[in-house]
Amino acid sequence: MTTTRVLGFLVFAAGALLLTNPSLGAGDPAPTPRRVVSLNLCADELVLRLAQPQNVASVTWLSRDRRNSNVAEIAAGIPINHGRAEEIIALKPDLVIAGAYGAPATVAMLKRAGIPLHVLGVPNSLTDVRNQIKEIADLVGEHDRGEAVIGDMDRSLAAVVLPAASARPRAAVLNPNGMTMAKGTLLDDIMTRAGLTNVAAELAIDKYGQVPLETIVTEDPDVLILSASRDGPPALATDILRHPVLTALAGRTRLVVLPGRLWNCGGPAVVEAIERLRRVAAEAGGAEAPR
Amino acid sequence: MMPAAALEPAEHAWAPPHALLLVCLSLLVLVLWCISLATGYAPLDLAQALSDIANGNKTLGALVLVELRLPRALLGCFVGFSLGITGAGMQGLLRNPLAEPGIIGVSGAAAFGAVAIFYFGLAGAFALALPLGGIAGAAAATVLLYGLAGRGAGTMTLILAGVAINSFAAALTALALNLSPNPYAVTEIVFWLLGSLADRSLPYVWLVLPLMLLGWGLLILSGPALDALTLGEDTAQSLGFDLARLRLQLVAGTALAVGSAVAVTGTIAFVGLVMPHLLRPLVAHRPGRLLLVSGLGGAALTLAADIGVRILPIRPELKLGVVTAIIGAPFLFGLIYRLREEA
Repeated sequence: MTTTRVLGFLVFAAGALLLTNPSLGAGDPAPTPRRVVSLNLCADELVLRLAQPQNVASVTWLSRDRRNSNVAEIAAGIPINHGRAEEIIALKPDLVIAGAYGAPATVAMLKRAGIPLHVLGVPNSLTDVRNQIKEIADLVGEHDRGEAVIGDMDRSLAAVVLPAASARPRAAVLNPNGMTMAKGTLLDDIMTRAGLTNVAAELAIDKYGQVPLETIVTEDPDVLILSASRDGPPALATDILRHPVLTALAGRTRLVVLPGRLWNCGGPAVVEAIERLRRVAAEAGGAEAPR
Repeated sequence: MMPAAALEPAEHAWAPPHALLLVCLSLLVLVLWCISLATGYAPLDLAQALSDIANGNKTLGALVLVELRLPRALLGCFVGFSLGITGAGMQGLLRNPLAEPGIIGVSGAAAFGAVAIFYFGLAGAFALALPLGGIAGAAAATVLLYGLAGRGAGTMTLILAGVAINSFAAALTALALNLSPNPYAVTEIVFWLLGSLADRSLPYVWLVLPLMLLGWGLLILSGPALDALTLGEDTAQSLGFDLARLRLQLVAGTALAVGSAVAVTGTIAFVGLVMPHLLRPLVAHRPGRLLLVSGLGGAALTLAADIGVRILPIRPELKLGVVTAIIGAPFLFGLIYRLREEA
């Protein structure tokens, strides 16, 4: 108890020293970055949840969109960027966090400019999510805050009662453009933990794949997860989620709209996704007609 | 060249009886339509599904057949017919063998009209907004084209006008998609430029069918005037045909048929080029008779191409325009070569 207090005080003192005299931090093995810039919506959420607000120099414009971001309120008070190299360099960041696949030209440019860069991978399981939270928490010098967030997640997950192994309703995912999620994806892990069986396993799809509506319908799932908000601005990609055949499935398949912000990124929101799907699984499992 | 050939519509070549030709083509379309219904990604017992539909059982097979395969087969049929008949109509009006909605930019402009309506939420305002957007685009392009390369203008002028309209329309389409608030929109330019019948639904069919029927009607009614036009404008007028009315009728018919087709399936090129050329000898080079025949041919070609994209082991399936271009582009090369020889 006392050691933690002493340590806490030391950390605080070091932080205070750094604040008054930033040049002292140069010799520190892991100085807390003061101008963190995020180039990726998923990194935005972790940075905004974990770092001290005054240490965040900029996050992406996407993080202010309530439809796709879980942290729109926090992001409203932080400057935004559009992922262009020039604007990022002008921010003089001491840490840039980028996604594995986003803005490759910008990332290459930042590397050449010698700006400290961290690439955030794609989380494919709940374990990955925990690791990412730790990873970013350590990077922004908020180890304890990371542990606290993970602790909260684990407590909420422990409260989710898993169903008996026998009643595992079959579920399929339908994303814009007819994409579905199979084994090896975060959403698959979420579904499994919620007590659902992902039918994509039967379709020989590796991670992500486009499937025709016909295949989804004839797979006859008990639950169909429309994993994006259907009421966004129109596009053909999202139009498929309103196809009349889906409405015609009513009575045999339960349609669930699960917003992408709950499972696209590795963050505490995945708990809400599991909780929502768990309720659906319980309903579908209970109401299921004998096969 | 075609006007020269058409000036002598006398029996210079054997042509089958017109009624027989129509019956054969209709049968072909019907057979392909049935094959299209039977083709798909899921194993489906067609007989079982049909009896389920007849008995009102909402089985999965019945759902797949009615909600997924039926709209696809119907749209293939109707859109193909629209493209074939307008190809024949435009070739007759402009008396130019290269006139075709895809090549001369009418389809491209229709796609822009539909994109402007669809992505900015206006399609939700009232149901007909989407096809009307396509029709407005197609009408604007047809009028512009006629102004730029109207009666008797050379092939060169027509093609240049088409290139200009096509690239302008494609640029505007790309711009509109870039400005769309939906992040998926940008990638959907492929659909609008190459066309597809995948996962379209029945409400779309019922939405565009009346407009297409109106367009087909206008085009078919212009048949006798188109026949007379092959004898020259003066002769046609002296025979009592009102050329101004004919032009208006053909432009309106083209805009209605192509505009509403493109609004739901995107641009499918070359169908309106290939079919009139293949079938022209079979109607003794009479542009009036060619209309209906070419429409049926277009329906058959589009259905066949759409069956093809589902049978080919390429996933996700090819866009329809890719297949029609593979068939149609060599055809266009051949035509250009012949035009050069005759020049």
